[in-house]
Amino acid sequence: MLVIEDDDGTAEEIVTALDDRGYVLDRAADGTEGLARARTGTWDVLVIDRMLPGLDGLAVIETLRGEGIKTPVLVLSALSAVNDRVRGLRAGGDDYLAKPFALSELAARLEALLRRPADPRETVLHVGSLELDLLARTASRGRRELELLPREFQLLEYMMRREGQVLTRAMLLENVWNYRFVPQTNLVDVHIGRLRRKVDGPDELPMILSVRGAGFMLRAPA
Amino acid sequence: MRLPEFVHSTTFRWALGVAGAFGACTLLLFGFVYWQTATYVTGNIDTAIAEEAHLDEGSTRQHILDFIDDRLRDDPRRVKLAGLFGPDGRQIAGNVATLPSGMPLDGMAHPSKLIRVDNRGREEQNVRAVARRLASGDVVVVGRDADELREIAEIVARALALGLLPALCLALLTGTLLSRRAQWRVDEMNRRVQRVVAGNLNERLPVGDYDDPLNRLARIVNDMLDQIERLVGELASVGDDIAHDLRTPLTRVRAMLERGRNSAGSLPDLHVTTDRAIAGLDQSLAIITAVLRIAEIDHSRRLAGMATVQLSDILQAVHELYHPIAEDKGVSLNLDLSAAETVSGDHDLLLEAIANLVDNAVKFTPTDGSVTLRLLQRADGPVVRVEDTGPGICDVERSAVFKRFYRSDRSRHAAGVGLGLNLVAAIVKLHGFRLAIADGPGCQIEISCSAA
Repeated sequence: MLVIEDDDGTAEEIVTALDDRGYVLDRAADGTEGLARARTGTWDVLVIDRMLPGLDGLAVIETLRGEGIKTPVLVLSALSAVNDRVRGLRAGGDDYLAKPFALSELAARLEALLRRPADPRETVLHVGSLELDLLARTASRGRRELELLPREFQLLEYMMRREGQVLTRAMLLENVWNYRFVPQTNLVDVHIGRLRRKVDGPDELPMILSVRGAGFMLRAPA
Repeated sequence: MRLPEFVHSTTFRWALGVAGAFGACTLLLFGFVYWQTATYVTGNIDTAIAEEAHLDEGSTRQHILDFIDDRLRDDPRRVKLAGLFGPDGRQIAGNVATLPSGMPLDGMAHPSKLIRVDNRGREEQNVRAVARRLASGDVVVVGRDADELREIAEIVARALALGLLPALCLALLTGTLLSRRAQWRVDEMNRRVQRVVAGNLNERLPVGDYDDPLNRLARIVNDMLDQIERLVGELASVGDDIAHDLRTPLTRVRAMLERGRNSAGSLPDLHVTTDRAIAGLDQSLAIITAVLRIAEIDHSRRLAGMATVQLSDILQAVHELYHPIAEDKGVSLNLDLSAAETVSGDHDLLLEAIANLVDNAVKFTPTDGSVTLRLLQRADGPVVRVEDTGPGICDVERSAVFKRFYRSDRSRHAAGVGLGLNLVAAIVKLHGFRLAIADGPGCQIEISCSAA
């Protein structure tokens, strides 16, 4: 994993935090160096700051994409312009995170980029005894049919495709509801709570887990 | 040679212009006076000489000679002329040398030049003269010197010179003084403005007693400075508010960490403390993020994500998003779409704004209350309205709720960082829509989606 970030403090934080989680990291301090190393190395994922000395972060991404390098990119930005996110994604970034961010948020998003979701052409998803039929729009856990509202269905689909990954509230809001803002209330918790009551019966082992300080995770009971 | 600075000033140029116009008017006036006087004097002369020349048709030559003698005898100013000429034009009597050629013999006064001959020699005089042929064939000429007209002209010119020149000088002097004074006032204003620029915001421009343009301008600038001083003060207090709202959670976090470090007996104990500290820091970060987001929306000049947006879709989405939360709280969230209206705007931002309104409404509505999200159609455009059965907002608090970080004292216990409405206001303003708090039971907030 390559982190292209000019601010030493931020870079150190990122490197330390991800190191603890078992990732192997390298760091470049400016755009030119970053681009050179991103080209040569075989990286699983790139973390690129939007504002870099030498060569702008977006230019780095555009150059890489122009050369056919498809390594997933997470764009970091201290800029908080309304359209910055759109520009970052349009330039070829795969995800976008505005500073200040929680390291757990960064880790979760990197994890998502590293583990691309299961084959999107699959029409029936399975996690443990949980089954989701995308064509028939039905869900069941073992023999128990689950009555899901359309949004709950989407939420479950998203989580099942990312089995075992930590999903933050912001990721769920962005990808399930398509909302870009952070609501003041614990909206996501309430929606997850409703889904959880349907998926995890009172005498069943929980599949939807809360990850303290980070978000939620769906996985087959051990 | 470099002219002094005041010569270039507008006031001085005005003074010059006014002096010029005044001079032209005076000239015109004096010209008129001269013309009127000359006409009057000429008229008098003409009447007099025409009367004198009006001799009886049958007057004898002796009679005429007596008349001429009579006329010429008492003329110390040498202004009178008279002559008698034979039918052949030969001079018979009088002090006129020759009968001027081309002079009509009609008994009317005409301007003419006659040669005067008397004991002091020959002299050509500008006169008004009457010539008339008598029955005998003789021609009688009566004239009077018209030099008086020239004298009048001279008097008028002298008066003009004596009156106009000092007036012009006075005008120039006044102009100079006025422009000097204006210059001085502008310099003084500049000095004060420089002090404001240097950061001394309580400096004001001097305002005189008169209602002249410069004073009016100074008053306008002073009003503006008052407003700026007030805004800067408010900004500073917003800074205080932010600092205060940040200090509260940070102080708590610090205390937690200190306690954890000193008294945590086991690793799980420390974990509990750390998690609580992280939650506290997240709250501080949320405040900072919210402030940055409001600033970002405030500073956006235009909308990049402009598109035609179906308002009912947004309302439905917000309703779906908040329905479970309202239900958990025992508040019913109703949706009333009596219109299907589109507006031009940014879908994500409008969603954020309306979601914030609903968020607030749900938060402040007590259990068993209700929140209604309505889309109305008014003559000037669609209106999104969020009504609740909560405590409402009293008049005094209405403008304050849009101030950053304001939370009504009654709601201090409710969660949230108190920035929601600011964000809504910023988004609404960016769209050119209007935000209003309507009267009614509970709180009713409207976004009027028509160009303001």
